[in-house]
Amino acid sequence: MATQEPAIKIDNLAKAYGQVQAVRGISMSIERGEIFGFLGPNGAGKTTTIRCMLDVIRPTSGSIRVLGLDAQREAHTVHQHIGYLPGDVRLPGRMTGKQIINYFANLQGREPVLLKTLVDRFDVEMKRPLKGYSKGMRQKIGIVLAFMCDPDVLILDEPTSGLDPLLQKTFNEFLLEEQARGKTIFMSSHIMSDVEKICQRVAVIRSGSLVTVEEVENLREKAGQQITVEFGDTVAAQELERLPGVSNVSKTNGSYHFNISGSMDQLIKTLSQHEVIRLQAQEAPLEEVFLKFYEEPEKAALPIQ
Amino acid sequence: MATISTTNSIPVAKKRARGLPVLARSLGNSSTPLSIACFYGLVILLILAPIYPVMAQANFQAIMGSGVMAAILGGHLAKSFNFSALLAVEVFSSIYGLLFGGLIAWMGGAVLPITIEDGTLDLALSRPFSRTRYYLESWVAILIGSVMVSLMLALGVWIDTFIVKNSGVEWPWMWLTLGVQWCFLFFAAGLGMLFGSFMSASRAAGGIAVGIVVLGYLLNTFGGLADQLQWMVKISPFRYAPAIDPLINHQLTWWYPCVLLGVGLVCGIAGLVVFNKRDLPTI
Repeated sequence: MATQEPAIKIDNLAKAYGQVQAVRGISMSIERGEIFGFLGPNGAGKTTTIRCMLDVIRPTSGSIRVLGLDAQREAHTVHQHIGYLPGDVRLPGRMTGKQIINYFANLQGREPVLLKTLVDRFDVEMKRPLKGYSKGMRQKIGIVLAFMCDPDVLILDEPTSGLDPLLQKTFNEFLLEEQARGKTIFMSSHIMSDVEKICQRVAVIRSGSLVTVEEVENLREKAGQQITVEFGDTVAAQELERLPGVSNVSKTNGSYHFNISGSMDQLIKTLSQHEVIRLQAQEAPLEEVFLKFYEEPEKAALPIQ
Repeated sequence: MATISTTNSIPVAKKRARGLPVLARSLGNSSTPLSIACFYGLVILLILAPIYPVMAQANFQAIMGSGVMAAILGGHLAKSFNFSALLAVEVFSSIYGLLFGGLIAWMGGAVLPITIEDGTLDLALSRPFSRTRYYLESWVAILIGSVMVSLMLALGVWIDTFIVKNSGVEWPWMWLTLGVQWCFLFFAAGLGMLFGSFMSASRAAGGIAVGIVVLGYLLNTFGGLADQLQWMVKISPFRYAPAIDPLINHQLTWWYPCVLLGVGLVCGIAGLVVFNKRDLPTI
């Protein structure tokens, strides 16, 4: 296995189902030891991309390399090093949790060294037949199946779907610990707050095309600050809109609300010329940035790496 | 909830013996149709023993010797009526292929799609487990099921020989009969695997495979009624499982079962190629 190559390298990947182009020539690279978020609205092509990585479906063109190995031609070797959690964990109802874990450990051909840790940590039910499991309980079994043999690369499709907030928090902590142990994690998600907390970089896909690949810190800078200011004198909205980096200026209950990205120097100098009764600044949520990518193609023209 | 850190020393995941996990699970998934086949095969055979004396007194030979019955049964009863003839009529005629072949075709058709439906195929194939091995283990599971059906029928006949006095069952020919019929089950398994390889719904794949077996039976039956329809018999798989011949007439056209083995093998291998190339769907 080539050790210098990225954990996952996707090069010009395209996948068509007949006339429908599900993925349109996307390229990105996920470094070893990174937690990488893969975002996009429903039907954007996230799951198709993930299933191409697993060689469950075959790309129309392009290539995927995992740990330096071709994900199609060397699938058997690649699969020795990956753990996969599907978006919708469905399991055979007649088997118990213990039986299904034993079955997949046999398929993996490895001892499930993390089994006890995972079962204790996520409070996984093992003895009942799976047909009685709720979505959250099935999701927990899915997490155990993905992590139990201690793979190097985790490919997770909406991993916290169906988990209660406490378990979501536990899972996010667990991901960070796994990252600290050198694991690479590629995850798709709709939960922006999770992505914001644990991912170093994110890619956004929309209608099969990659909109952006960004470091979360950069996105945070782009999101900037949300400012609320109440003036004692009369200030025109245009005076604020003219300032560099200021956007979305609105006025409610006598206070101005706007976003600012980049330097705040000009803003402070302008405010100092007026009577300021109240000033509040807070980090803008990344969710708004993500949603811009989701909804407005023409406004989401951020540079693609 | 316990908060156990994973940063504690974790041993490297050692290799473990795989065994034949897909084979075992496929047999488990097929347990219901397999149990049905074994149960009814045994029940039918155990019913035949007590009714044989009554049947022997009836003019059974005259009925069974007619052309229509020969078409339905897939062979002529040339010799006088005895217990072997009753077995040939009730179990080892074309009805064997229709009943047990149909069940095996259903199992073969459903064995792969059922794992798409229960969501385990994706998870299985994202592990270091090749599609070829997955397919072959599934196929072998169905073939083991077909052997179990054959052995259950052999058990039924063996029990009958204790109930029926002077049953006259000649075991070398009985084993040959079972072998010929197993060739039909092999064909049915290959046919089912072919449909299951590219379909994603177990009932649809199993149903189509059964439909083809039924169609084959109808071709054999109606084709046998008139000389002009002999082409229908020739393309029917039932023609190539003439189990009445070895059981009653003690003769066998050796290449007939080879046709079934060959077609079953071709279907199975074609299914393997298709399964290896296809995109697996999510449901």
